Amino acid sequence: MAAAAAPTLTRPRVSSFSRSTQLSGLSIPLPPGIRTGPNSTAFVSSGIPTLDAILGGGYCLGSLVMVMEDPDAPHHMLLLRSFMSQGIVHDQPLLYASPAEEPRRFLGTLPSPACSTADKSPRRDREEDKGLRIAWQYKKYFDETHQSISSRKDNEIEYSSDFDLRKPLQRQFISGRKIECISILKNSDLAAFHDRCGVFLNQHARKEGSILGACRISIQSFCAPQCEYFNQEWQVLSFLRSLRSMVKSSNSVAVLTFSPSLLPPSSLKRWQHLADILISVRAIPDDDKDMAKLLTGYQDMVGLLNIHKIARPNVQVPFILDATMFSMKLQKRKYLIMECLNQAPVDGSGGSSYAASGTGSCSSASKTGPLDF
Amino acid sequence: MAESICRALRDGALEGEHAPALSIKDSIVSPFGSDVFHHFLVQLSSSILSGKSQSRGIVLVAYSRSPSFYVELLRGKGLDVHSSVNWIRILDCFSDPLGWKIRLTGPGSREDSDVAILYNDVKDSGRLLMSIVKLGKGLMQDTKGCFSVAFDSLSEMVRHASAQPVAHMISSLRSNGEISSAFWMLHTDVVEEKVASIFDYLSSMVALVEPLIPSSQGPRLTLDNLAGTDENMRKARFLARLKRRNGRVRLLQEELRLDCSGLTFASLGDNVPITGGGLVPKVQFNLQLSEKEQVDRANVVLPFEHQGNGKPIEIYDGRQSLTDRKLEVALIREEMTQTSELTTGEILYIRDSDDEMPDSDEDPDDDLDI
Repeated sequence: MAAAAAPTLTRPRVSSFSRSTQLSGLSIPLPPGIRTGPNSTAFVSSGIPTLDAILGGGYCLGSLVMVMEDPDAPHHMLLLRSFMSQGIVHDQPLLYASPAEEPRRFLGTLPSPACSTADKSPRRDREEDKGLRIAWQYKKYFDETHQSISSRKDNEIEYSSDFDLRKPLQRQFISGRKIECISILKNSDLAAFHDRCGVFLNQHARKEGSILGACRISIQSFCAPQCEYFNQEWQVLSFLRSLRSMVKSSNSVAVLTFSPSLLPPSSLKRWQHLADILISVRAIPDDDKDMAKLLTGYQDMVGLLNIHKIARPNVQVPFILDATMFSMKLQKRKYLIMECLNQAPVDGSGGSSYAASGTGSCSSASKTGPLDF
Repeated sequence: MAESICRALRDGALEGEHAPALSIKDSIVSPFGSDVFHHFLVQLSSSILSGKSQSRGIVLVAYSRSPSFYVELLRGKGLDVHSSVNWIRILDCFSDPLGWKIRLTGPGSREDSDVAILYNDVKDSGRLLMSIVKLGKGLMQDTKGCFSVAFDSLSEMVRHASAQPVAHMISSLRSNGEISSAFWMLHTDVVEEKVASIFDYLSSMVALVEPLIPSSQGPRLTLDNLAGTDENMRKARFLARLKRRNGRVRLLQEELRLDCSGLTFASLGDNVPITGGGLVPKVQFNLQLSEKEQVDRANVVLPFEHQGNGKPIEIYDGRQSLTDRKLEVALIREEMTQTSELTTGEILYIRDSDDEMPDSDEDPDDDLDI
């Protein structure tokens, strides 16, 4: 890059236009695990590469992600685990809160990143073979970019790792990292929890030095019925509002899971409007022959994921997804991937439009309607 | 299918997991919740006595019936409560839930039997939790064993102590390592919907008792729904949702029959599909033609020479059809011959006559000037 810059400086200017030489990188070096996107947005990975691709890069820094649970299935835990593991792997400070008595025990269930070399190299060869078959005369260009990608990957830690859900995270990752675990079971009000979040964010944002110190906050089953603050609707809402502002000002990401069936409908609407990214997970029935006929890959499916809302902070144009409903699958029984639903065509109900039937048959608990901002 | 629920309660919890919890729900239109509760109680008790279950004892928290009722019920099924092996304790929250009788008659006036222990502070769910755990530990006699907990009416509990402390108690019980399984019964029409959904959230199996024939007019007894109501008093639909470890939900349904010998489960004759199909959006590709569309398709005149139906060739070219023209011409000709002997000029139209037949020698592309 410096070599490219030098000729432009020594060559006499012929026109008033000069080529920008800032293509290589920003003046501030990025810490690992943060990627910049268009319109100067920065992303951190969710821990699931396919979900990052769907969301357009990952979770935007400064956003509050809300995951609506299905009381019938623990799929929100998969999202939380991947998010937390990714933060630990990238050495990003992590705060975890849950209604369990001993939240520290949950760290033992976090997945470990898959062995990079064994699984990745056959994939790369396959890609190269594909290049050969499809466009042989362009192979020389393809190879160049490929080499640059591979060399870059060897030097840096990957932005998004594949997590092996069967292998727990090794102890050396957890000990010595900045991980804080809080139990919110016995909090009669949320003031103490709110203060701890504030302290955590201030502490770590300052330590990093640069503006882009990304912290991760994960809150599991917020407003679970066994928590003492369960009935305090307005306190909970004001906590969420201030969490959102804290996260935005400290450029961190917070992922919060809750069960929509436990909230009164007006509260639920308010919570949903506070979210920057709103995702819901749903369980699927077991041994359902109709579903097996309808969807390919039903055997590997674990559940359904619905994306209700994606925020793009610096842009006025909304980010419109190709599809909002995805299936959560376990590839090789280890890796969690999100896939578009492959449906067999069925007799559609005449008259109603796709959009109406789509939102109508979506999770009845959400009842969000069109929430694309 | 009720068998699979019994099996789940019997097998209990795995290491490090929450104990399985069954929530039985009913309503006034099919009030079989208590019968279903008794059925599962009897099944679990017989598994405990025969040593087939993970739990070695059961603590029954009796709110809606007296302990003597349960003793008689179990004795009627051949399960001796006062056997040499201590396997059951009944926490009596029925006789004096708020402690009024003790205040009137003074302490020590009522003696606990070895099975039934009086409890008179139902508003304090923390103390209730401690009593349950203490009774269970007493059953285990300080050996490493697990016990099950049963609540005969959670709706009564929620009346005295509100939903959040009861939820806290249940989740503490489930995460307690000494508890193998828990089950309870709840009337859905006497509690708020939110309360019912709280206990659905906390349970791993939800069983709902619904009327087999949906009652149309409600309380009005007409001849039409009299038979239906009669059926609903003896039979019901039993729907269960089991949350499996792999994250999927198993939906099952059976028919419930109540007669003098007790409760029996039978499979439903009509395979009513349990809705799981509402999850996936319907796609609008309709590959089959409806009746009307098929008829319309048959009526379309194709722009080909041969219609394939033996009729003479008709090509619609924007003008009137040829047969009609011929008929008209014939009619006109008849008229004309009738009126006058003169044959006036006719228009002879030969189809495609204005097209030039290209000579085989000519190349039409010769006209092009590129």
